[in-house]
Amino acid sequence: MASHYEAPIRKPLVLGDKGYHDVSVDIAAPVEGKANKHWWIVFSISLAALLWGIGAIVYTISTGIGTWGLNKTVNWAWDITNFVWWVGIGHAGTLISAVLLLFRQKWRMAINRSAEAMTIFSVIQAGLFPIIHMGRPWLAYWVVPIPNQFGSLWVNFNSPLLWDVFAISTYLSVSLVFWWTGLLPDFGMIRDRAVKPFQKKIYSLVSFGWTGRAKDWQRFEEVSLVLAGLATPLVLSVHTIVSFDFATSVIPGWHTTIFPPYFVAGAIFSGFAMVQTLLIIMRKVCNLEAYITVQHIELMNIVIMITGSIVGCAYITELFIAWYSGVEYEQYAFLNRATGPYWWAYLLMMSCNVVSPQIMWFKKIRTSIMVSFIISIVVNVGMWFERFVIIVSSLHRDYLPSSWTMFSPTFVDIGIFIGTIGFFFVLFLLYARTFPVIAQAEVKSILKSSGERYKSLRAAGKPMYKIRKDGVVRETIMDSEGTLSNTDK
Amino acid sequence: MKGLFQSVIVLGILLLAASCADSSRPNYQYMPNMYEPVGYETYQEVDFLPEGTAALTPPENTVKRGWLPYEFSNDAEGKELARAQQSPLDSLKAEANLAKGKELYDIYCAICHGNQGKGQGTLVKREKILGVPSYADAARNITAGSTYHTIYYGLNSMGSYAGQLNYEERWQVSEYVMKLKNDLTK
Repeated sequence: MASHYEAPIRKPLVLGDKGYHDVSVDIAAPVEGKANKHWWIVFSISLAALLWGIGAIVYTISTGIGTWGLNKTVNWAWDITNFVWWVGIGHAGTLISAVLLLFRQKWRMAINRSAEAMTIFSVIQAGLFPIIHMGRPWLAYWVVPIPNQFGSLWVNFNSPLLWDVFAISTYLSVSLVFWWTGLLPDFGMIRDRAVKPFQKKIYSLVSFGWTGRAKDWQRFEEVSLVLAGLATPLVLSVHTIVSFDFATSVIPGWHTTIFPPYFVAGAIFSGFAMVQTLLIIMRKVCNLEAYITVQHIELMNIVIMITGSIVGCAYITELFIAWYSGVEYEQYAFLNRATGPYWWAYLLMMSCNVVSPQIMWFKKIRTSIMVSFIISIVVNVGMWFERFVIIVSSLHRDYLPSSWTMFSPTFVDIGIFIGTIGFFFVLFLLYARTFPVIAQAEVKSILKSSGERYKSLRAAGKPMYKIRKDGVVRETIMDSEGTLSNTDK
Repeated sequence: MKGLFQSVIVLGILLLAASCADSSRPNYQYMPNMYEPVGYETYQEVDFLPEGTAALTPPENTVKRGWLPYEFSNDAEGKELARAQQSPLDSLKAEANLAKGKELYDIYCAICHGNQGKGQGTLVKREKILGVPSYADAARNITAGSTYHTIYYGLNSMGSYAGQLNYEERWQVSEYVMKLKNDLTK
């Protein structure tokens, strides 16, 4: 470590006097402890929302899509809005774990596990909508090109809705594999700490016999890097394909080449906001403030600000192109967004997505946990309205004025959305109690370069280890007065 | 060994599922959304109609488009009058009409009357039915018109073929019967 050079400008990523054992103890604590009353209350609320959502889904499928607020003109609304919203939220997880890995961002290590969990759980929510918005969901398996008795009747590979099937299913499976691979050393840690036989059995099963040999670690790192390299184009292409649902159409307001990058930017924007919302709560309730620091929150805020600005640029580009195009339909589509019957949705989208992230330019604001939390929720509201505005305001007024109409959701539309939120939190709450929510193996790999204890040792010019007379190597630790010693702690 | 055991179980379950199909009754259907018709199919059973079928008999003395009632009555007098009528088919297309008439004759008539019209069809040879005369029978002296009349109404043990053959087809068969008669009496 003496030869290690770390720029003194870098702030510690692990706060406090934390050694390897402290990391294990802190991260295993929620898994090994018992759920408190608050967890059960929140879990019950989420479960109730989920059950309500299941009821709404059963009602929709058994009675028909007519229970929704859709009509012949606006035939996509809350269903696809929620689908794109959930897919978008899922994207930050892969971004954090894959793209930030490629860019060697050490700060990702405290947040990637939960971000990936968020990806998995929100892609599951998203995956519900393509099924339940079908008129005949029991024939959904027809979208899969399987040989069959209809003379091997095939699917048409020209539809972005089919690409969605491949995109979402690939995305979910790759994310799941990536996530689980990263979990192996951590499950191994929980397994090795477990004292109850049942827990031991479960974590032995899910950790796949991880023993942490040098060869395992070497391959683990390679696999992570390869998967990160695969997941990065995947994350860009998945939301691109989702955006193709609209961009490849002929609807004014949809037919735009800007959609693929703009949707991806919006996905990162909303996904990071969701990570922010979840982690600000999680660091508090799981006592992980030493790992998910204000610096992490600030860096996420910066990503939110950057992607928010990209989204803002896209909005302005769309408006400019609409004016510049000279196509009266497109001009009207944007005039209708701004001044039509859904002006309030457009205004909400603009203010939440373009204005709110801009306050992150102020350091005082982006390092404030409270403001970050509020902004992260505001951003997700705004991003929901972005999808709603794009879908509904383009559909409800297009080429033929005789087809102009309005859209209003029914309680079933709303119930299903609430149900997916409930389902998401049910999964996330269960995850937070059973999974190591921080990748301890990864955090331990940066502990000595970025931990506060080791940084201060380096700053004080002290060795990190001391070899005692009996040959035992001991870590140098800091006592409460801040003096450094090599004891038997 | 474990893998073998598992595949045997899976195969067994598949066999069990397949054994649910019963060849003496219609098979199970998956989500028969549009298998059963909403409208009435021609011979479908309908409980609210008097005959119990969707195929209703038209009211008497009605004339549909493209069809005219046959003008001769079903008795000896009608037959005598019908004997004189000429085939209305286009004589320039006689070849095609005869070819068509042969096809229809072989299907509907030859089983009793025989391919040459000698009254030696398969049923007669097997003695399932007897007393089928030859077209060459001078006493009968058949013409195209009387053949048409007989096809339309039937005669003695022969039933009507008006339900099987339409107007044009009856004349095509009648013309072919005349050809058979000529061949036999040559």
